[in-house]
Amino acid sequence: MRVFLRPNLARCLWVTPFVSLTSMTLALAIRKAAGYPQLWDDGVPQQMLAIGYISGVIGFLIGIGSFDTWFPWMIGSPDRPDDHSQHGAYSWRDYFRFNTDHKVIGVQYVVTTFIAFLMGGMMAEIFRSELAHSGQGVIDTKMFNGLMSQHGTLMIFTFLVPVFAGIGNFVIPLMLGAPDMAFPRLNALSFWLLPLALLIFLSSFLVGSFEAGWTGYPPFSTEGPMGETLFEIGIQVAGASSIATAVNFLVTIITMRAPGMTLFRMPLLVWANLATSALVVAATPFIAGAQFMTMFDRVMGTKFFVPEMGGDVLAYQHVFWFYSHPAVYIMVLPGFGIISEILSVMSRKPIFGYRAIAFSSAGIALLGFSVWAHHMFASGMEDWLRVPMMISTMMIAIPTGIKIFSWLGTIWQGVLHMTTAMLFATGFIFTFVIGGVTGIWLASVPFDNHVHDTYFVVAHFHYVLFGGSVMTVFAGLYFWYPKVTGRMINEKLGRAHFWTTMISSNLVFMPMHWLGLEGMPRRVADYDPQFQNWNEVISLAAFVLGAGMLIFVYNVIVSARHGAPAGPNPYRSLTLEWQVSSPPPIFNFDIPPRVVGGPYRYGEPGAKHAIFPEPSVAKERTHA
Amino acid sequence: MSGHDAAVGHDHHGPAAHTYQPYPVRLGIVPLGLVIFLTSEISLFGAFFLWYGHARGLNNLAWPAIGYEIPADSTSINTAILIASSFTCELAFLSLMKNRRRGLFWWLVASFVLGAIFLGLQAREYHDIGFLPTTNAQGSIFFSLTGLHGAHVFIGLTLLLFCIIRVARGHFTPKRYTGLLVTSIYWHFVDIVWILLYTLVYLLPDKVA
Repeated sequence: MRVFLRPNLARCLWVTPFVSLTSMTLALAIRKAAGYPQLWDDGVPQQMLAIGYISGVIGFLIGIGSFDTWFPWMIGSPDRPDDHSQHGAYSWRDYFRFNTDHKVIGVQYVVTTFIAFLMGGMMAEIFRSELAHSGQGVIDTKMFNGLMSQHGTLMIFTFLVPVFAGIGNFVIPLMLGAPDMAFPRLNALSFWLLPLALLIFLSSFLVGSFEAGWTGYPPFSTEGPMGETLFEIGIQVAGASSIATAVNFLVTIITMRAPGMTLFRMPLLVWANLATSALVVAATPFIAGAQFMTMFDRVMGTKFFVPEMGGDVLAYQHVFWFYSHPAVYIMVLPGFGIISEILSVMSRKPIFGYRAIAFSSAGIALLGFSVWAHHMFASGMEDWLRVPMMISTMMIAIPTGIKIFSWLGTIWQGVLHMTTAMLFATGFIFTFVIGGVTGIWLASVPFDNHVHDTYFVVAHFHYVLFGGSVMTVFAGLYFWYPKVTGRMINEKLGRAHFWTTMISSNLVFMPMHWLGLEGMPRRVADYDPQFQNWNEVISLAAFVLGAGMLIFVYNVIVSARHGAPAGPNPYRSLTLEWQVSSPPPIFNFDIPPRVVGGPYRYGEPGAKHAIFPEPSVAKERTHA
Repeated sequence: MSGHDAAVGHDHHGPAAHTYQPYPVRLGIVPLGLVIFLTSEISLFGAFFLWYGHARGLNNLAWPAIGYEIPADSTSINTAILIASSFTCELAFLSLMKNRRRGLFWWLVASFVLGAIFLGLQAREYHDIGFLPTTNAQGSIFFSLTGLHGAHVFIGLTLLLFCIIRVARGHFTPKRYTGLLVTSIYWHFVDIVWILLYTLVYLLPDKVA
């Protein structure tokens, strides 16, 4: 029975429903005490749902042990020295606990986000099978709307945004030469919010799935089924998770660098993460605000989006996109960092234009705040906002172009090692440029008005988010797989995965451009028979794309057991994470490193990024 | 060992890493984290202010709603009280620096009491104001903005309460004061947001009027 008292998932089993039910009862008691004529009316289930879920989240966090150290600390109990019992993974069970080790949290993040990715992908397969033929067959329209909305929501909020937090969690403290993140407990807390967000989104199927898409525009969202409330709560939870992680990354990057690690000796992934985290911190609360407003409208009957009562529906779109456009860069900037790492190592050349790449990340992050209204050209927005937004949106192509140019400069005349990671990195450049170019087209107001809400837009953002972000995620996972598991991943299966993904994803998303130009609207369960042919091709290719992911999952599982031992540095990389054993020691560096040069000095004979002071010297120091 | 070291955020380093020194930051690692977090708080208020600005500035929302009034005059007292509590909080900090324990304790109590009075006055204003969040969009945004701020005052009061308890237990020294620093930064933040909120929501006249 002791297992139900210690901080773990077993304790969550009773604390979560306990806190949740207590809060609901309390709310009903307050309602009675306040003298409402009826204890139960039409609005109450909605309110109970919201209260139950929000307090359930807190209950879960208490159960898993997020506050076990903080509560005594807050009220001033005597400090206990940390015994590090929550740090590091000694068995598989440690991955299911509140664990403060950034490497464990990184793995937890990536696995959780991949579960979300596969689920979101399966939803796409289901509605693609409906869309394969004109007419209604496989699922009804309500189910289609639900699956379509879930697909977008899961992919964005529980896969693409957090997966980079996961990769960054594993890699960045190692790259900086730090023993852990700056706030390890906060780090664990922000991870455990993520599976909750996923469960909240998925459980909305039980009460009527939300149907307003991932954007949740009112009045769809304020008048939709009960699941919409869960969408709003889930966004808050996922958002809290990413803000906490971003604060952690920023403080870690500012304060936890090894001696000699000046800002311009940091690997570019760290720079990318710095820019991303700044974006997350500044932008994410806007979606929280937008979802608070729609939730208040639903649950408490406020009038934010009721035009007859002075409500302002268009303002939702402004607030929402003020986050959600920067969110696109949140989902792609860390990927840019991953690509910079891989291209330099795999072409054995110094990165071309280190500072240009570093500053262009910051440039994208800054410019990213000035472009949000390009999502609203067709919304009846203020006319004078259109042209400035069009120009600033097109300007985003400049820093992005600098990056692409620098990457091409990096691989130019290099000695290319075409590993799977490198295949994904170069494949990323190809597909991302397509997505980027259609982005510039869409920025132009007349063109956007022509293709707005058609499959052209769907094609564009899938080229950016699949052809861009997901490719970088895979590149990163293949690249750091030996570091995480200590074994090499099977290259043959990796190449099979790459080529099925590359070919089938282009077959899925390229024809969508043409469908969009011909006028096929997005987010519809049925379409005119004239669009039939390409839709068949798209659906078939989508199934191949899905099957390709199975190769990846199989490869990851099998290689962890049977792969060739990797050794500490299979790619002869210079950055710090490769200078320790694979998998890294529990506390990262037995000897604190001293950074003496840039991270990309490939091809310079004898060049070093960091040195480790002689063990004997280090020992003497600790004894003295 | 009491309080929290300002230089090392957290003693979660491995056996080998005990010699590890974070880069020195003037603020200390925990207050730095707080300041970064507060930028995201500004954005959270910003989201509601963006709605408010759009509705009033571009959607011509009447402010206040026709037939209702926003009590700018009586709320000026609340404003004064909250600003005063920021000063008392800073006086508590000065007392700590000069190692005057009683001053530290009582100035903190004074800040707490002033903050609590502010919340009480806000609650009374809610009761007397004559409209509800559900009455119209003006009511929704008024209660959301002031309520969001009120929630932050409540969190600030909780932090102050923790500080008071810890001071009573003999915590904080002129060299170890992270918990107090964090609380006072947060409390000043809540104060500054209120000044902005009071100006924009209570004082800004309707352009029609």
